[in-house]
Amino acid sequence: MSNNERYIPADRIPLPPKDAEVFTTACDYCTIACGYKVYRWPVGKEGGPAASQNAFKADFPHQNMMTAWVSPAQYNVVSHKGKPHNVIVVPDKDATVVNVGGNHSIRGGTLGQKCYNANSPTRERLQQPMIRVNGKLTPVSWDLATEAMADISKYVLAKYGEHSWAVKMYSYQYFENTYAITKLAMTSVGTPAVAPHDKCSGTNDATGLDDAGIDSFSSCYEDWSLTEVAFLSGVDPYETKTTLFTQWMMPGNSKLIFVTPHKTMGVAWAEANNRGMWLPINLGTDSVLHMALARIVIENGWQDQEFIDKWIGKPWEIDAGYGRGTRNTGWQWRTTWGTWQSDWEDYKKFILSQEESKLDVAAQITGIPAEKIRLAAEWLAKPVNGKRPKASFMCEKGNYWSNNYMNTASFAALGLICGSGNRPGQVISRGGGHQRGWMGAGGGSGWLNPEKHPGRRKKSFNLDRWLMNGEIKFAWVFGTTWVAAMMASDALREKMQALTNGSPHQISSLDRAAIFETLKQRVDSGGIVMVDSDIYPCEPVGTDFADFVLPAATWGEDDLTRCNSERRLRLYSKFYDAPGEAKPDWWAVMKFADKMGFTVDGSYNWKSSNDVFEEAARFGRGGVLNYEPLVKTAQKKGMKGHELLRTLGTTGIQTPVRIIKGEMVGTKRLHDPTNEWGEAEDTTTQRRFLYAFNTHNGKAKLLKSPWKYAGWQQYFEAIKPRAEKNEIWVTNGRINETWQSAYDDRRKPHLHQRWPDNFIIIHPNDAKKRGIESGDWVEIVNDAVYVQTGQPQGVLDADLTFNQLMKDGHIKTTVGKFKAVAIVSDEIKEGVAKSNFNTPKSMANAVVSAVPDPMTNNYRYKLGRGTLTKVGESEYKTDLTRMSLKPRPIV
Amino acid sequence: MTEKIIPVHNHHHDHEGGHACMSRRQFLLAGGAMVTLAAVGELGLPGLAEAKPLHALKASYPKTKIGSLSALKNGVPVEFAYPYPDVSNILVKLGSRAGGGVGTEQDVVAFNQQCTHMGGPLQGTYKDQFQALGPCPLHLTTFDLTRHGMVISGHATESLPQIVLEVQGDDIYAVGVLGLVYGYSAMTNKRA
Repeated sequence: MSNNERYIPADRIPLPPKDAEVFTTACDYCTIACGYKVYRWPVGKEGGPAASQNAFKADFPHQNMMTAWVSPAQYNVVSHKGKPHNVIVVPDKDATVVNVGGNHSIRGGTLGQKCYNANSPTRERLQQPMIRVNGKLTPVSWDLATEAMADISKYVLAKYGEHSWAVKMYSYQYFENTYAITKLAMTSVGTPAVAPHDKCSGTNDATGLDDAGIDSFSSCYEDWSLTEVAFLSGVDPYETKTTLFTQWMMPGNSKLIFVTPHKTMGVAWAEANNRGMWLPINLGTDSVLHMALARIVIENGWQDQEFIDKWIGKPWEIDAGYGRGTRNTGWQWRTTWGTWQSDWEDYKKFILSQEESKLDVAAQITGIPAEKIRLAAEWLAKPVNGKRPKASFMCEKGNYWSNNYMNTASFAALGLICGSGNRPGQVISRGGGHQRGWMGAGGGSGWLNPEKHPGRRKKSFNLDRWLMNGEIKFAWVFGTTWVAAMMASDALREKMQALTNGSPHQISSLDRAAIFETLKQRVDSGGIVMVDSDIYPCEPVGTDFADFVLPAATWGEDDLTRCNSERRLRLYSKFYDAPGEAKPDWWAVMKFADKMGFTVDGSYNWKSSNDVFEEAARFGRGGVLNYEPLVKTAQKKGMKGHELLRTLGTTGIQTPVRIIKGEMVGTKRLHDPTNEWGEAEDTTTQRRFLYAFNTHNGKAKLLKSPWKYAGWQQYFEAIKPRAEKNEIWVTNGRINETWQSAYDDRRKPHLHQRWPDNFIIIHPNDAKKRGIESGDWVEIVNDAVYVQTGQPQGVLDADLTFNQLMKDGHIKTTVGKFKAVAIVSDEIKEGVAKSNFNTPKSMANAVVSAVPDPMTNNYRYKLGRGTLTKVGESEYKTDLTRMSLKPRPIV
Repeated sequence: MTEKIIPVHNHHHDHEGGHACMSRRQFLLAGGAMVTLAAVGELGLPGLAEAKPLHALKASYPKTKIGSLSALKNGVPVEFAYPYPDVSNILVKLGSRAGGGVGTEQDVVAFNQQCTHMGGPLQGTYKDQFQALGPCPLHLTTFDLTRHGMVISGHATESLPQIVLEVQGDDIYAVGVLGLVYGYSAMTNKRA
């Protein structure tokens, strides 16, 4: 949407007539996934304002809060079977789970505006397959596009091998699509060169939680209403986990401890209501805070000894190697040999011996006053009248994207000694970012990764490094920005540009043979052939780099499924026609697979998304997202899997789905022995993680987190803001009103007027020193953005530490910069500025280094730095129709 | 840029309606600085081209005197009802220039007080330091009254409906509503 378009809100919305068709779905955006209803009826009629005249059975106008109302942003006109239809997309006021009574966020509340309508900014949707001819994207048929892709793919695979054929893909955009894409990449092609949207490699997220035996999504939303004190690490759930906070945390009187450098609305509200404590932490130092809290708990004997005795692994259980096979998986070697591995007695000794766990030292390192740390420990663990508080622990990316392994390891240990992890209202969990839509087809191609951890241990495949090394010949990008989302974005973009549209070998005709000849020369001269599948032109991958751009159909345009962060599986109903020739990604994969000859054995024989859903079911069997029993139940009833799920509406069912006494049963909470487990029946897959922790013996592991660990310390010292350059921390994060790269939001008039450009929130003291006011354009520059290059093999433990990599020539120093509009406010900690995490035209990740955590192969995304310089005044300083510059927390 | 007139369609109409033109609202959104009136097109109402004519834009209400400039004190809101007796709004002199503001400093504005998220009451929530209304007691949405009631932080899916003002001498008149008040499906349908 152009920045010059002005949004005029409507003052009238047609009501659905009594006979409007109703579909259930869930929100396309954040991890909480509120339930929604879609009302559809042909253009030309409408319901009346009396309850007897409309599908809501409600009188309009009314003055009843929190009941049926349609805001203008929830209305649209779409095409259904080629005919114009009105649609209203509203939160389900009959919902009994998640968003009980129709609660919703600003993101989901504007889903109606997401739907394609040629008269709205959604007219920018991709509608035909295109090939870039002489630099210009030219519409072609699906056949030609996929044939030309197959021609060059066959050549690349034969000449350069499967490693050179890469996929960069969303991990969450519905089971049907992720299954199809991974089947193609990992099973049919067999490449290890696959990375999800949010990471350089398919590694763990909150790795310390995984190693402790805690599934990141083991809890349910109700747990957050049952808890008495919540420790919220690197997250304010009000921002982008909205309904979790407003529905399940705001009511009641639980205490909320927020550990973030940014005082957002949830933090300010909790403080103002005497329920909150803000711990404005120095970036990257969470482990120290966790250790200091643990020390206070231990010194006062506030730990939950009964829980520890029952649920924490004993030394022999850790050391014995019982059930641990070759010790050649990440969690095995991380938790078996020395540095991290612990048990209760050893952990206690460790905590009491650490210099950094001392209160005064921790206060100095974390920047949090000692008395606040002590008070937080009291809230979390001090018994009141002999009763321990019920504490729960939530982490998100401020925690595990700052110091991936150590922050999550120390966080999990703190939670466990407070007795949390597997009981109602006493959980340890991620808050979640996006929903859970990954159903990997397997194929196990990861072993082909040439990169290894020290000791020749398996390591996840780093796709960014592979690209920087020039090892990729063909890359297919599915629904992600890649460049803006990854670290050292500028360096990544430059390299990608040089290898694609910077190559002299550009397609100049639509002749299939000529295309092949050109692309052959491209790859033989070191270049990359790129494909971008998306719903909108994606900057810069689709707009500038890709040779092939494929139009995807999405939410509302096909029947699709996935889970939310309490593992709740729902059907996201199709209710209108995808624009033009846009097709769901599973279909595009099938088409390409056919051109590759992968269908000769009868596979990829999918008539509908339900076929993919049912085929994918068996691949999730052993996991937490297992829905196979639902598919089997449907088959017994003579129904399609999707149709059985449709009958469950916005309630859906929590995975893993099990069969007890012949009936489908959902799983409310993982690791919880008090769940109703029943006898394993029928197609139920009984796994230990259901009723115990997810380790080889069902007991949780306490992990140590020595602050001086070289794999962390050397990097931390190298990337800190440099006083001599007048740098400050430049961190990044989500903001309530924006989802991901704002691919939809910038086409939603209401949201686009709110955020037409990227922001950078700066503390008044930092702003004043630099002569910056709210509304000024600010350029942020980091002239030492480090990028890991080459193919470093770890042999000895120290080989992949930052200093050694630098010494060995595996670190390249690059420059990163971006421009954003200043919002000067004391909501942010002094010395820290914060920008949106994924704005393609203003890439905050450009000032963050691309050197992964050597323990986990995951980036330290939140630790950017830079100089801040005013470069002019933005129009928003005086334009009173767009971009509010007010502080976020006003209470 | 062209001026565009949208006819108002009378549905279940028990109030003065007829035809309204959007010029006053467009003038508002142009920040009062532009003389030419901007075409708005169908942005605010997807599907307008296909659907029958709707109350896309401003309905005309009786011009109602709601206060006077001389009686307003900086930062002290005054409540009034408009366009119907049960639609509660505030009139406030913000002390800084605002979109749609009237008076010599263009800082006098009026907004509806029902949150456009789920209808929460915003009465008594004006924050003079920030020229903001909120947070809504239900889900904490805040609104920027200097920018046409735009959401600052929170969950309302529309800006707060702005009451269109005109000044004659010292008198302040309400002449229209920009947006849809919570609980309404059409601003021309009065509450029973």
